[in-house]
Amino acid sequence: MTTTLWDTNGSEIVKTLSAERRAAGALASGLALTLVVVTDEQNVAEAEAAATTAAAAHPCRVLVVVRRRLGADDRLDAEVQVGGRLGATEAVVMRMYGRLTLHAESVVLPLLAPDAPVVTWWHEEAPAKLAYDALAVLADRRVTDAAAAEDPLRALRMRAKDYAPGDTDLAWTRATPWRSLLAAAFDGGTPPPTSCDVRAQAGNASAALISGWLAVRLGVRSRVTESAGPGVTAVEVRFEGGERLRIDRPDGYLATLSRTGRPDRQLPLKRRDLGDLLAEELRRLDADQPYAEALASVTGETGLHQRPSTRTHIWREPAGTRGEKATAAKTAAKSATRSAGKKAAGTKAAGTNAAGTKAATKSSTRTTAARSSGRRTR
Amino acid sequence: MTRTAAEGLRGNPLRDARDRRLPRIPEPCALVVFGVTGDLARKKLIPAVYDLANRGLLPPGFALLGFARRDWGDGDFAALARDAAEKGARTGFREDVWRRLSDSIRFVSGSFDDDDAFDRLAQTLVELEDTHGIQGNAAFYLSIPPAMFPTVLKQMQRTRMADNSERGGWRRVVVEKPFGQDLKSARELNALVDNVFTPQDVFRIDHYLGKETVQNLLALRFANTLFEPVWNGNFVDSVQITMAEDVGIGSRAGFYDTAGAARDVLQNHVLQLLSLTAMEEPVAFDAEAIRTEKTKVLGAISLPPDLETYAVRGQYDQGWLGGVRVPSYLDEPGVPPTSATETYAAVRLGIETRRWAGVPFYLRTGKRLPKRVTEIAVIFKKAPHLPFDSTDTEELGHNQLVIRVQPDEGITLRFGSKVPGSAMEVRDVSMDFLYGEAFTESSPEAYERLLLDVLIGDATLFPRNEEVELSWMVIDPLEEFWADRRPELYRAGEWGPRSAEEMLARDGRVWRRP
Repeated sequence: MTTTLWDTNGSEIVKTLSAERRAAGALASGLALTLVVVTDEQNVAEAEAAATTAAAAHPCRVLVVVRRRLGADDRLDAEVQVGGRLGATEAVVMRMYGRLTLHAESVVLPLLAPDAPVVTWWHEEAPAKLAYDALAVLADRRVTDAAAAEDPLRALRMRAKDYAPGDTDLAWTRATPWRSLLAAAFDGGTPPPTSCDVRAQAGNASAALISGWLAVRLGVRSRVTESAGPGVTAVEVRFEGGERLRIDRPDGYLATLSRTGRPDRQLPLKRRDLGDLLAEELRRLDADQPYAEALASVTGETGLHQRPSTRTHIWREPAGTRGEKATAAKTAAKSATRSAGKKAAGTKAAGTNAAGTKAATKSSTRTTAARSSGRRTR
Repeated sequence: MTRTAAEGLRGNPLRDARDRRLPRIPEPCALVVFGVTGDLARKKLIPAVYDLANRGLLPPGFALLGFARRDWGDGDFAALARDAAEKGARTGFREDVWRRLSDSIRFVSGSFDDDDAFDRLAQTLVELEDTHGIQGNAAFYLSIPPAMFPTVLKQMQRTRMADNSERGGWRRVVVEKPFGQDLKSARELNALVDNVFTPQDVFRIDHYLGKETVQNLLALRFANTLFEPVWNGNFVDSVQITMAEDVGIGSRAGFYDTAGAARDVLQNHVLQLLSLTAMEEPVAFDAEAIRTEKTKVLGAISLPPDLETYAVRGQYDQGWLGGVRVPSYLDEPGVPPTSATETYAAVRLGIETRRWAGVPFYLRTGKRLPKRVTEIAVIFKKAPHLPFDSTDTEELGHNQLVIRVQPDEGITLRFGSKVPGSAMEVRDVSMDFLYGEAFTESSPEAYERLLLDVLIGDATLFPRNEEVELSWMVIDPLEEFWADRRPELYRAGEWGPRSAEEMLARDGRVWRRP
């Protein structure tokens, strides 16, 4: 059942969703989590397909946020589906226009499943600092994809700088089959390793993470060298005494495991589609320490584990908005950084005016004031 | 858990207890299946092996070695295996996965008393060590009638295939029910198997324990604060465990007529469910601790002094089931016309512990009942005082917590709620947690899970020999009592014989309609 709402608002969506749920008879269905998908218009179909696959394995509510033209008039269109096109799950696809794109959380917050974890996934290049997006601040787990960036390795460095426990990246998820196979090959004992070599297409973030992981776990030097691809094509570990362990996957499909003194074994090692990757991500919702360690090893960042796991929303006026009003908003952004993140974001989001934050500190009052002036300029 | 986790890392630097993305994969090993052309192997084992391969849970060095009497080559067997995998697999059939797997499939033909054949089997296993790098690890699955066990086990002893130290790896054996037909035969069987293999290498499969809901029962009880405080005789009125099947005996007449419902189902599945429901909290979530607690409960089971009224057995008569006319048990092909074998058994048991003193456990199982359902219902006492008028609460029953094992795996909580309206009226409502609603797609088949556990060496979900023997101690007196009585007839498509209803009515209770 799908209901399309044109030029609507948040409470209308909440009402429609609960009406749809009643109609479908799924009043107390077990929602394990809310998945917020941030994407753009070109990628909606792909993101929906992936979310459907993932939702088949994990009962969840899918909220797809499509941010459209910032310059347009403020408007919200929504599609509410229960057991419809997106499989046996509840989904709301929201298209946001104008300044609303900067306040997507105002629509999303009341739609989150009660007391269930929230996962936000950027199916596009994620912001340099996740805290720029309030949808990251409200999430318990944040899924980015370094491979979606123009320079994936630079994106990895950015992720490492910005890392907070609960962050994860699909480049790491793509590495799982490789890592499982390597770990399985190490079962039953090996001589002490001396060095590792990962071969992959230029700028492959997964290869970097595999190499970082091997370096951390084995305590040896590991590097990535370039190959024609596709993706990661080989991993080689050398041991004391000249023994070698090598996994080759030239075609992105079938791998050959060879080891000195053992017969070669062929194994399927398929590149997985987005839905499977996302399903793996949803399986576990706590901080992923091995990812943090691999990321730290690749980028040289330190102290990833010690960082606080919650973020505070940083208000940032997007480039391209007009004149001095934009500057005013930028100043406000700085003060907003200092104010209490989630709550401030929520209040702002709800579109209330200064009266709503009477009790708030001076700085956040200023934020609201600046914001209102920003709204007027629209 | 911590100990098993540490063992699971096997000194492998790439394994990390925090790294939960990496699946549990067994060490390189071979799975040897005796009776590989049989029903169980074709319908369950081979599909389970394929599913494991498809999910990437088999080690790079893996071989499936089939042994059966047919005069076949590797190719014929591969064709049969492929057919079985295509038909029975839970996950989608992928040609490339199958091609890799079929490279690792071998077949040895021969009868169980043929020394040559077993020498060839042992030889093939040694060869696989070189070609597939299985390093002397092998699990033997005895998918054969128990009567053949002694022959096969003696052959394994002779060829030293069961010897851990022989090839420097582990050797395990998997046994299916029936684990004997009474205490005496079970002991003989246990002694035989434990003698050839070491006791901790023997895995007795009770596929009910591989079901997600059964494992969830432990999570429900021991991971929550909500249920454990009321999980005792102070709050629980009674417990009903039902395992109903709508099918008849099918083509199993030969075996079934010598066993009956109590031996076939009550002794293993139902008593295992009872022990998980009633056991104390294990000190750790590992095989040893859990099995110790289960053993304690099974040892504390008491039979009713009056078996005449609290042990009922029945046999289905002809009737209508699901719109189809079905024959009586005696008319089933292969059943002797004078058979006194039961197809339904119900019994009231007690558990002599402080926790459960005075709480009756009603167990029932039967064939040709209205539907296929397995569930555990914990029925709570009524509130000691109700501040409402008695007319207000006429429709209020007992609070219930129902664990649905199959189908529609999940949990239902029944409690009283006010009926909307101006009058105060309280009626029972259900709160439902449907485990399978969306999780089923990823929850593995019981055999898949159990097979993986065998290869990894995790015995948590396998009953040990003491449990089997203690279970027989419960069943044997019942069988003795029933020996010279005829089972009561019940119409196919009904919830069992009349006296089962009377048995609960006498205690002021009724069977729950599942």
